[in-house]
Amino acid sequence: MSTLSEAVGPAEPTDTPPRGLWRQGLTVFCENRLALVGLGLFVLLAGVSFLGPLVYQTDQVHTDLASVHLAPGEQGHLLGTDGVGYDQLGRLMLGGQTSIIVGLAAGVLATIVGTLLGAIAGFFGGWVDAAVMRVVDAMMSIPSLFLFMLLAAIVTPSAPMLILIIGAFAWLGPARLVRGEALTLRSREYVQAMRGMGGTGGRAVRRHIIPNAIGTVIVNATFQVADAILYVAYLSFLGLGIPPPAANWGGMLSDGLADTYSGHWWLLYPPGIAIILIVLAFNFIGDGLRDAFEVRLRRR
Amino acid sequence: MSESIGLTARHSAPAGHAAAGRPLLELRDLDTDIALRRGTVHALDGISLDVAPGQTLGVVGESGSGKTMTALSIMGLLPPGGRVTGGQILFEGRDLRSLPTDEVRRIRGVRMGMVFQDPLTSLNPTIRIGAQVAEPLRVHKRVGRAEARDRAIEILRRVGMPRPERIVDNYPHELSGGMRQRVAIAMALVCSPSLLIADEPTTALDVTTQRQILELIDDLREEFGMAVILVTHDLGVIAGRADRVAVMYAGRVVETAATEQLFHAPRHRYTEALMRALPESAIRDSGGHDRLISIPGLPPDLSGPLTGCRFAARCSYVSDDCRTTDPSLTPGAHQHACLHPVPTPAGAVTGPVPARVEPAAEPARVEPAAAPARVEPAAAPVTAAPAEVTELPVLSVQNLVKNYPVHGRGLLRRTAGQVSAVADVSFAVRPGETFGLVGESGCGKSTVGRLSVGLERPSAGQIVLDGTDLTDLTGRERRRMHRQVQLMFQDSYAAMNPRMRVDAILAEPLEIQKVGDSSARQARIATLLDQVGLSRRALERYPHEFSGGQLQRIGLARSLALHPRLIVGDEPVSALDVSIQAQVLNLMRDLQRELGLAYIFISHDLSVVDYMADRIGVMYLGKLVEIGPAREVVRAARHPYTQALVDAVPSITPDRAATRDGTTIRGELPSALDPPTGCRFRTRCPRAADICTTEPPLAGGLHQVACHLPLRPEPTGTPTQVQAVG
Amino acid sequence: MARYLIARLGQALIVIVLVTVIAFLILHLLPGGAARATLGKEATLEQLAAFNHEMGYDRPLIQQYGMYVQRLLQGDLGYSYQLNQSVLEAIEQRLPKTMVLSLLSTLLAVVLAIPLGVLQAIRRNRWPDYAITALSLLAYATPIFFLGLMMIIVFSQVWPILPPEAPQGFTVAELLADPAGLVLPTATLAIVTIAVYARYVRSSMIDNLNENYVRTARSKGLSERRVVLRHTLRNGLFPVITLLGMYLPALFSGALVVESLFNFPGMGQLFWQAALKRDFPILLGVTVIISIATVVGALVADLLYAAVDPRVRLRGSAT
Repeated sequence: MSTLSEAVGPAEPTDTPPRGLWRQGLTVFCENRLALVGLGLFVLLAGVSFLGPLVYQTDQVHTDLASVHLAPGEQGHLLGTDGVGYDQLGRLMLGGQTSIIVGLAAGVLATIVGTLLGAIAGFFGGWVDAAVMRVVDAMMSIPSLFLFMLLAAIVTPSAPMLILIIGAFAWLGPARLVRGEALTLRSREYVQAMRGMGGTGGRAVRRHIIPNAIGTVIVNATFQVADAILYVAYLSFLGLGIPPPAANWGGMLSDGLADTYSGHWWLLYPPGIAIILIVLAFNFIGDGLRDAFEVRLRRR
Repeated sequence: MSESIGLTARHSAPAGHAAAGRPLLELRDLDTDIALRRGTVHALDGISLDVAPGQTLGVVGESGSGKTMTALSIMGLLPPGGRVTGGQILFEGRDLRSLPTDEVRRIRGVRMGMVFQDPLTSLNPTIRIGAQVAEPLRVHKRVGRAEARDRAIEILRRVGMPRPERIVDNYPHELSGGMRQRVAIAMALVCSPSLLIADEPTTALDVTTQRQILELIDDLREEFGMAVILVTHDLGVIAGRADRVAVMYAGRVVETAATEQLFHAPRHRYTEALMRALPESAIRDSGGHDRLISIPGLPPDLSGPLTGCRFAARCSYVSDDCRTTDPSLTPGAHQHACLHPVPTPAGAVTGPVPARVEPAAEPARVEPAAAPARVEPAAAPVTAAPAEVTELPVLSVQNLVKNYPVHGRGLLRRTAGQVSAVADVSFAVRPGETFGLVGESGCGKSTVGRLSVGLERPSAGQIVLDGTDLTDLTGRERRRMHRQVQLMFQDSYAAMNPRMRVDAILAEPLEIQKVGDSSARQARIATLLDQVGLSRRALERYPHEFSGGQLQRIGLARSLALHPRLIVGDEPVSALDVSIQAQVLNLMRDLQRELGLAYIFISHDLSVVDYMADRIGVMYLGKLVEIGPAREVVRAARHPYTQALVDAVPSITPDRAATRDGTTIRGELPSALDPPTGCRFRTRCPRAADICTTEPPLAGGLHQVACHLPLRPEPTGTPTQVQAVG
Repeated sequence: MARYLIARLGQALIVIVLVTVIAFLILHLLPGGAARATLGKEATLEQLAAFNHEMGYDRPLIQQYGMYVQRLLQGDLGYSYQLNQSVLEAIEQRLPKTMVLSLLSTLLAVVLAIPLGVLQAIRRNRWPDYAITALSLLAYATPIFFLGLMMIIVFSQVWPILPPEAPQGFTVAELLADPAGLVLPTATLAIVTIAVYARYVRSSMIDNLNENYVRTARSKGLSERRVVLRHTLRNGLFPVITLLGMYLPALFSGALVVESLFNFPGMGQLFWQAALKRDFPILLGVTVIISIATVVGALVADLLYAAVDPRVRLRGSAT
């Protein structure tokens, strides 16, 4: 795009007051309307899930076989009830809490583990790098759902267990990403310039590699969260999710599958749509963050 | 390629065409806008230009002047968001803007051809050369496959490709940059167009290759009888080749005239300033150097409304009316849009000027007569070679060798070997001296720079800094010593962490070397900013908010932070426009005088090195082939390679530009994986003889050369004393 | 090229060995170890000890791994007492059907994703691009089984033209004899794949359309059509070949869900049933085989890419 930059000419020495990088990044993020939509969706879904029960109180512990499969609106159940008499809206809120917490925790765990291993591989290089990356290659060639199910078949899944399982095996992507990033950053001219001033490898990592890699890591983390939410849903659908009375959207959706032919639409669509919206939300946020962290986007 | 097409031939042949009536191409009041996220840039504003059949029009300007946009507007190849919003593009009498698209496309494919700047990316990597070259024939002339192939071979032969019948089946990445540019030219010419547009065709190439390509374009113009629009930032490239020149600034044509006329007597103050900002304008024949006349400030932002002369803000001759009146081009053959033009020198022809002016026998130099008040008095000439040779060198490099192992993995047909990047190089830099290192890409000059600042360890040899041999030191001690030597990069933006503010960037060397406390560092940073001429407001900003020249100042400030005695500049001004380059070069010289700095100035650009350096070393394929006082190396080169470099440098001085049959080197740079035995240059040297298979030592007194058959002996009278360079 | 081939083969081999190590470790980390996993919860301690001795599971771990590999090489993946069948036999029955499902949906996805991605690239930031991007994102965010369910509701319930269940044929031929039953599972798996591929094709094409060589092609007066078809398309599609390999794990994960939903008698369903019944010999055997399939698939894709792209073919480097 050399022609374009030529047309624009050199950047003017700006007379606008100096702004921090975070402020500039925030501006870019806010210019991305989808990112704002994603943020709004997340706040809405999380708000309803975590604060909703304070307003809309339901019994999600005891089954109520007297009032199963009530249609929305009946007996004050805004979204009806399910096959064992739980209020569907209340259950969506409870399920949302689990889905969001498990998704966030697993995504963050995967990111932390992956970042550490990727950074170690990228920084030390040589045989450490080769060893870590071959293990990553091997684990990546095992389709993740097969791996998760294998583990879920061994241990009895609970929310913390799911977080551990997903977190412990979803780190491959971030590890590969961070390693690549560390390798590129290590050869950047500003790191070399610092070396020329007599700087050490430690300083390169602290002052240059981490601050520049952090954006990539955070962006990837949002996608990891979206994936983790989907994995929880898959495991629940395949009967290896968190057992009741605990609820999550994936489990509710797979329960609702049984009701496909019975016309109990309120058991099927709300959790399905909730999953779609939360996954979309994290994807939108991730895209927006990617732009926001890209300093070069702001040059010209 | 015939070598003997001299000036007369070039200037007489197409002369008839100009008078023959209609121009081939006429631009009338062309406006082009480019829509960007942050607003619309008015890239071209009322461009009017004529190109006669068979004529070469040079379009020259700095970044953002609109020269490339003009070319792209004619070709209908504007980038996304770009649009011609007004005016006419009359080609052979028809307005391309009002013709149907299919028709325009045909004209573009058959009657016009274009050559782009970067030959490495301009060819499709997955289509064979022959198919790409012949494609216009296949598409526009419905030529069959077999005939197309023959015609491709034919045209490739005419652009000087060796073994064209084999090249047609190659892919672009199998060829060197210069060869790819020949392919691009062949592709543009395959339909015998009447207009060739060459947009910076040689900017990405080495000077010796540049010379070959420019001569090729010239010869082909003759042969095909076509017109050429040569777009470039380099006044020197235009000076030797074009019939007419249009100078562009900030989206406008500010001056247009016959080439000789323009270079002999520029009228617009911008043209004048631009020519005087060239390093070659400041090199006095007497030996001293004048201070470069730089143009302050930056070109205007073309996205906002502009009133008055667009150069007013940077002009030394500005008056109030310049800021309010929008000057238009004066009528006549020598047009300019300046309210206070340079007075016509006595003897020059005024009024209607013949389209072609024979080169004056004794062309007058562009004298900075009537120096404006703003220009500082010329600096005291720096002595060509410091007198006290006894002084201990800041840096002395002895028998330096750097080999890079080639990893076998993924490399085909090549056994794992090593690239000989630097082979047995020795030189010394004395305090306060500028040592210039020139050579073409791949000669190892940058590696020498990186070795000198300790970014890489040599494979063999010594680096002696202030009398201490660094190769004996431990890592920590070496780092401490390296405070003395700092590196200045070509691309300062890449050399600065984009997430650090300027204050943090400038503080970093002080923190690393644990210099002073926080307030002392603050004070030091403030001093540094003053020294490089930036305001304190820069401190709170990030690198992406600065222009190239400003970034280079910040980079220089950072290099200075630790009070080094030597700064290694690796192509420090190569990415800058001429006017900005002059600012940075002046700054470097000022700081050298103030702080007693020594420089190693690495550049591919001989004219810049000539201006900056006291002594020059010339490198070829990892070897130092010549070293000596700058003046002598440039004006009395002893090595054939140096002479070829000197001859290839485009110059705005007509007599220099006119010498077209000096030492021309042919062929391609051999691989550094397997360099030629003996003299590494012998495979391309016009003087090579049997003796050249043995390696020539670097021999001589102050002006040494590594050649068995030097072009001239070392001038007598120079002390034949061997320096630190063993 | 030969060098690249050898390097790439060696890499694949190492990965396969590591996969077996991982599977082996998981088997031995199980509570009660391999014996419990094979014989089930009801087995007595004596039975377990006898089994362990018979299989050599009382020997050092390294030796056990050696035996495990030896058995693997002989095609012995263990025995499922729950199915009363050797694991290899069970997989041999199911694997071809999973391959049919995966191949069909990949084919469908490639055929649809390429024109969609190209359309997006040449109509960048205009409504066709936005519409396809939105649909892709939606497809990506929807759990596959929910998507499949929607398909069932629309095409077998609301508008009953297709069966909601996959054909239950024993052989591949029987499976293919009932093409209508294959439509929904294939389409469901393909939709998510299309979303991923189209996105990739789009960005690859956009990258190529921004290249200087495209400008050169336009300067030759070529029609937009020729610029896209002759110059950009092949360069833009070369990397898609590697994507086919990289996407295999996700494709197989998707197939697992789809097979479970549509009761498709493939390896995914086998795996799913085994997971519910804690039939570990099957679980581990399928995991190893599917991983090897992934590695081999990726290898084939990489080699294919190297064979077609002259830049790689002649230079011999993948990057």
